[in-house]
Amino acid sequence: MLIELREVTKSYKRDALEIPVLEGVTISVPEGDFLGLMGPSGSGKSTLLNLLAGIDRPTRGTVRIGDTEISRLSDRALAAWRARHIGFIFQLYNLIPVLTAFENVELPLLLTSLSKKARRDHVMTALDIVGLGDRAQHYPRQLSGGQEQRVAIARAVVTDPTLLLADEPTGDLDSKSGSEVLTLLQRLNQEFKKTIVMVTHDPHAAERAQHLLHLEKGTLVEQQGVVG
Amino acid sequence: MKFVGLMLKSARRSKRRTALTVLSVAIAVFLFASLRAVLDGFQAATEASSSTRIVTIRSTSMIFSMPTSHADAIKSVPGVRDLTWANWFGGIYKDPKNFFANIAIEPESYLRIYPEIILTPDEKRAFLDDRTGCIVGEGLARRFGWKVGDRIVLQVGIPVYGTQDYPFVVRGVYRSGGAAVDNQTMMFHWKYVDERSLEKGQIGWFISEIANPDQEAQVSSAIDQKFANSPYETKTDTEKAFQSSFVSMFGNLNLLLGSIALAVVITTLFVAANTMAMSVRERTTEIAVMRTLGFQQHTIFALIAGEGLTMATLGGALGAVLARLLVNGRNLGAGGFIPDFGVSATNVTIGIALGAFIGLVAGIIPATMAARLKIVDALRRVA
Repeated sequence: MLIELREVTKSYKRDALEIPVLEGVTISVPEGDFLGLMGPSGSGKSTLLNLLAGIDRPTRGTVRIGDTEISRLSDRALAAWRARHIGFIFQLYNLIPVLTAFENVELPLLLTSLSKKARRDHVMTALDIVGLGDRAQHYPRQLSGGQEQRVAIARAVVTDPTLLLADEPTGDLDSKSGSEVLTLLQRLNQEFKKTIVMVTHDPHAAERAQHLLHLEKGTLVEQQGVVG
Repeated sequence: MKFVGLMLKSARRSKRRTALTVLSVAIAVFLFASLRAVLDGFQAATEASSSTRIVTIRSTSMIFSMPTSHADAIKSVPGVRDLTWANWFGGIYKDPKNFFANIAIEPESYLRIYPEIILTPDEKRAFLDDRTGCIVGEGLARRFGWKVGDRIVLQVGIPVYGTQDYPFVVRGVYRSGGAAVDNQTMMFHWKYVDERSLEKGQIGWFISEIANPDQEAQVSSAIDQKFANSPYETKTDTEKAFQSSFVSMFGNLNLLLGSIALAVVITTLFVAANTMAMSVRERTTEIAVMRTLGFQQHTIFALIAGEGLTMATLGGALGAVLARLLVNGRNLGAGGFIPDFGVSATNVTIGIALGAFIGLVAGIIPATMAARLKIVDALRRVA
């Protein structure tokens, strides 16, 4: 299994109150899977995604990705681990506005020891995969929403990460652009064998996943094809 | 090095804000370097003072004068080899804004005791021979475009010199042979001024040349002793002390100018820190995204702090170089009060370092804020 969560609980403190978000979640996801995470607002799906990305820590339980139990890593080690293993796609793309598409995609590669030429080759390959090789020198403001999200996907895959995490990747797009982005994610999963976990509200988006997992009030209520 | 491009691109995000920050640091450093030039100029003049010249003024203050009869008494003091005197005239050339030092001197002895005033033999002779003649420093001549033979009229600035204007003819343009003498002063015959003065035979200060610098204390004491308990008691000191007391007429300049410089620098520091903090706040999501991508906390800290450091150092360099160009180019004159007025290379370096210091200190809090940002909270704030 690539992803293994054991009895994961997450709660936040607001003043004196402790607000539970996830309670005793246990899931296992095999390598090469395309998992859809569904559930209403506040069900804990984004929190689950954050725990998988190593940008948040569980209150209790363990999160293991591959051979690494990331819930035990220090902040420094976790940042280095994220750079190597995680590609994250945000709902609002979150490209850096002062950087071109090329520079945005190059950003995670600055953390590697690759030469300038090697970085350039990687960036152009990633941009070609998302069909935006000809837009490399465009700034985010010069791109459509769909194109911006494709640049964000290129940024997520450019380091060839172990796991791709997408948080509502089509949530801010029209249906045509959303469909193109989903097709691209499917292609990354099927053609490039990328393991993907995608949070979505959209049933059409969820249809593209191989397996679905439903969360409600922080607990798993329904699993389709996922080892629990 | 690969992060430098990223840092510079971030700094150019809001060009106007970056330009204003750079400019505010530049102005602070410009002021700092210029004020340092003033203090250094006074310091240089004091340091360059002759050890064989001692100056006698009224014990109460140098603004009060002494009778000419003091001259013979001073000359009779053992150890005094030569004597000259001068008066502050305070004349106005066309407009009070055209301020420069103009003093009435006993020409022959003054030029003898001050070999740093360099004239050609012809100019010297012409000056000594002409009762209404004057000599001007080359800096002053350049400032007003004066040349030998020109007629200059000074209005009276101090009532004791009457009410009528004083016409002069430029008989020489002197070069300064040392920091004890500036090149921004006008000098003319004491007799010419004394003739028209409402109080005849008054002298502002005496300059004695002593034979042995080691006897300065004894000779000074002997001079003052001569006039003890008289209506015109004196205070004799080294030329260095005289220069210092001249400066102290303006109050504690070191403290005053130092306080101004410090206030400007601290204000600029707060402005720069506030600007950086605003900039970081606007970039909360971007920083969270970079942290998600795997950027370490210390890398984020270095990027933000480096941005502040770059902007402020640039401002510092701009201010220091501008100060050097303007002050040294005599575009900002000191009216002859400061003989060697200029921004030194050391002060340029200090100015740039000050800019860097402002950038470093101003960047620490915003950079720490950015580095400690909790990724999930930052992303949630926008989503």
